[in-house]
Amino acid sequence: MVPLAGYLGLGLFMFTMGVVGVMIRRNPIVIFMCIELMLNSVNLTFVAFARYGSVTHHGSGIQSAMAGQMIVIFVMAVAAAEVAVGLGIIMAIFRLRKSIDIDDMSLLRG
Amino acid sequence: MGDSTNSLIWVILGLPLAGSLVQALFGKRVIESMGPKKGRWTMGFLAVLPIAIAFILGVVITLGLSGQAPDARSHISTLGDWISISSIRIPFEALIDPLSMTMVLIITGIGSLIHLYSTGYMSEEQDYSRFFTYLNLFISCMLILVLANNLVLMFIGWEGVGLCSYLLIAFWYKDINNAKAGNKAFIVNRIGDWGLTLGMFLIFCILSKPENSALLHAANGRWLSYDVILPHAVQIFSNDPGMATAIALLLFVGACGKSAQFPLYFWLPDAMAGPTPVSALIHAATMVTAGVFLVNRMHVFYELSPVASAVVVCVGAFTALFAALIAFGQTDIKKVLAYSTVSQLGYMFIGCGAGAYWAGMFHVTTHAFFKACLFLGSGAVIHAMAHNQDMRNYGNLFKYLKITAWTMIIATLAIAGFPLLAGYWSKEAIIGAALGNSQAVVGDNLNLGVIAGWLALITAGLTAWYMTRLAMLTFFGGEERWRSIKPAQHHAHAHDHAEHAHHDGHAHEDAHGFFYTDEEAKAQAAAIPEVHHHELDRKHEPHEVPASMWLPLVVLAALSVVGGWALGHDEVFRNWLYPEGKLAVLTASTVPGEASQIPLKLYSMIAAFGGLIIGYLIYRKGLPKREGWDLNLWSPFRKSAANQFGFNDMLMNAGVEGGGELGNAIWKVFDVKIIDGIVNGLGALAMGLGGLFRKIQTGYVRNYAMAMTFGGLLILAIALGAYYKLPIFGTTQPAPPAVYHHIQTLGGGQ
Repeated sequence: MVPLAGYLGLGLFMFTMGVVGVMIRRNPIVIFMCIELMLNSVNLTFVAFARYGSVTHHGSGIQSAMAGQMIVIFVMAVAAAEVAVGLGIIMAIFRLRKSIDIDDMSLLRG
Repeated sequence: MGDSTNSLIWVILGLPLAGSLVQALFGKRVIESMGPKKGRWTMGFLAVLPIAIAFILGVVITLGLSGQAPDARSHISTLGDWISISSIRIPFEALIDPLSMTMVLIITGIGSLIHLYSTGYMSEEQDYSRFFTYLNLFISCMLILVLANNLVLMFIGWEGVGLCSYLLIAFWYKDINNAKAGNKAFIVNRIGDWGLTLGMFLIFCILSKPENSALLHAANGRWLSYDVILPHAVQIFSNDPGMATAIALLLFVGACGKSAQFPLYFWLPDAMAGPTPVSALIHAATMVTAGVFLVNRMHVFYELSPVASAVVVCVGAFTALFAALIAFGQTDIKKVLAYSTVSQLGYMFIGCGAGAYWAGMFHVTTHAFFKACLFLGSGAVIHAMAHNQDMRNYGNLFKYLKITAWTMIIATLAIAGFPLLAGYWSKEAIIGAALGNSQAVVGDNLNLGVIAGWLALITAGLTAWYMTRLAMLTFFGGEERWRSIKPAQHHAHAHDHAEHAHHDGHAHEDAHGFFYTDEEAKAQAAAIPEVHHHELDRKHEPHEVPASMWLPLVVLAALSVVGGWALGHDEVFRNWLYPEGKLAVLTASTVPGEASQIPLKLYSMIAAFGGLIIGYLIYRKGLPKREGWDLNLWSPFRKSAANQFGFNDMLMNAGVEGGGELGNAIWKVFDVKIIDGIVNGLGALAMGLGGLFRKIQTGYVRNYAMAMTFGGLLILAIALGAYYKLPIFGTTQPAPPAVYHHIQTLGGGQ
């Protein structure tokens, strides 16, 4: 059986990939994908804790497993909504400027 | 005298104000609708009427007052509160007493004569009703000044007459010199007002002190009312003579400004830029005597302070002599009269400083008669001579202007002190009081009053001399000097009726520095009908002035003859103003010549006749060469007298240029360097900091994301460091959060 540390290590790796991707990529679609990557790494961590936590802690085990899986469903729902809004914004920007390069959108520069 | 008679005083005050409003609101329309001639007659009538009615009412009140016992001749009529706050109450209140009623009669009496004269003098004027608006307003302000029962209300009148003086001096404002003369009068008077207001504040401060609580009930907050100040002044200030001196001197600064005493005299000669009736009314008979009135009103302070009295005497004597000397260097007929006025005002202050306050007022009264007559006479001469004011162009006018000449000669004799004429009585009263002075004594025996008395006697001789010069150069000499004027030679026009905008070029700058476009300039020129401005030349034939102008001259000449005797004989005027016991402190006699063993009558006659005879001998053959057109032939004394001995230039340089330099220096150092430095420095600081911080705001999402990431990592590091007790994050160990415990157990469990 894969130990908990394996899931946590994969989650950490995916999260780091997501963060670095957000910071270095200029295409907002890719940035979205990176954000999804980060969200899913967190989901993975939740699910892993839900599975392993219920083994060691009798009594509260069922509850904590349920809570971890519930949060994952919520995160997926929020991510779907976020993508809907985010892609809408990207579409609007593209219609306006014929470009979606994130570095062109620097109107807030001081 | 009942209350109803007292409240008549408000009618007197209201009439000229109403007249002024009528002139201002309806004057122009009436003249336009009725045509210039009839309309001006109507508005002139409406201007004279309120003043004449006010004079009649003034006579009624004065007669009522004179029928009462001397102690009872003081009534206060209150209209209502003006200012009422916890610390001070200032009602609209009028004081009816001999001093104020004397001034009321002078103002309305001489005022209505001068109004009548003005209807003739100004009959060609475009701005006819504007003139009478100002003139009526002046009368009402002057009446407020003399009738007010408290210093603040008096100050309204004081400033009001200053304003009207300014407006009337600059009446022909299209000539920049007239506008400048108006400004000069206004600004110089501000210096006087500074002193007057400070004196006023000082009186308020002292009277409202807690230790003067005995006053509290009597005053009821009316700290600046005369009936509160004057009866208690002796009691309060006799322990504090320094304060009495300070108040007296500050009030005298105000009097100096208004009454054109040295060194604040130099606005008055320039004030001659105004129309001649204005010079007669404001700058000879009434407004300039406000200072003498003020000293009379507040005489208790001068009685309490020999030092202040000495200052008054010295300033008066010096001004009298100084101005008389300057008068010798003047060729403009009105300028001679202006310096003569300054000199005579000096006399009035000699009388006041020597403790003979009544003598000062007596000279105010007689001076109003003969100086108004002289000014109006000079106006008639100017009117007849095509508005040329230079006496060097006159001569032998007696042949043409019989009435004017006779009245002016009588007034000249009166001012010269010819026996039994008006000036003789009042000057003798002043000189007598000065020579018998015991008030203006400094130290043990430095009797400045006596010195001033001798100076005044010398000045009396000089007065007779320069006034004879004026009369001889104008009316006699056999030679009609304007006959030799070449058409190109036009000198000293005091004012222009028709100062037209020039019609060439695009933007027009008038003398005041305003710019007009072509259209505006044309519209302006069209608004002023072409006034035919007759210049004085060899073909000029002088004509006697109309009846509206010579009638006031005759009345004033008659008053110059009998006025002195009527008021001066048997101490009538003195007992009217200052009956026995009215003076609070002074006990020494100020009867002319009584206290001194000097044959005063003889001396003053020598001075008067000496001046008259010298003047006659010098000028009987007309204009001497050494006073003629060629200034190189003038004696150095006369040249420097013409230049006011350099005082005007000196004061103007020190005041205007020096003030400008000072302001410039303050601007360059204080304003530009310090104030602007602070303001700009703060701005630069904010900009510098902003420039530093704006670099952070790149506008790139990834930079923000990176900041968030590293920020999150930092917070995580701090939390972990605190948990594992790393030294840089503090020493106390927080309770382990549940999540760590959980993680630890999870990790350890596998």
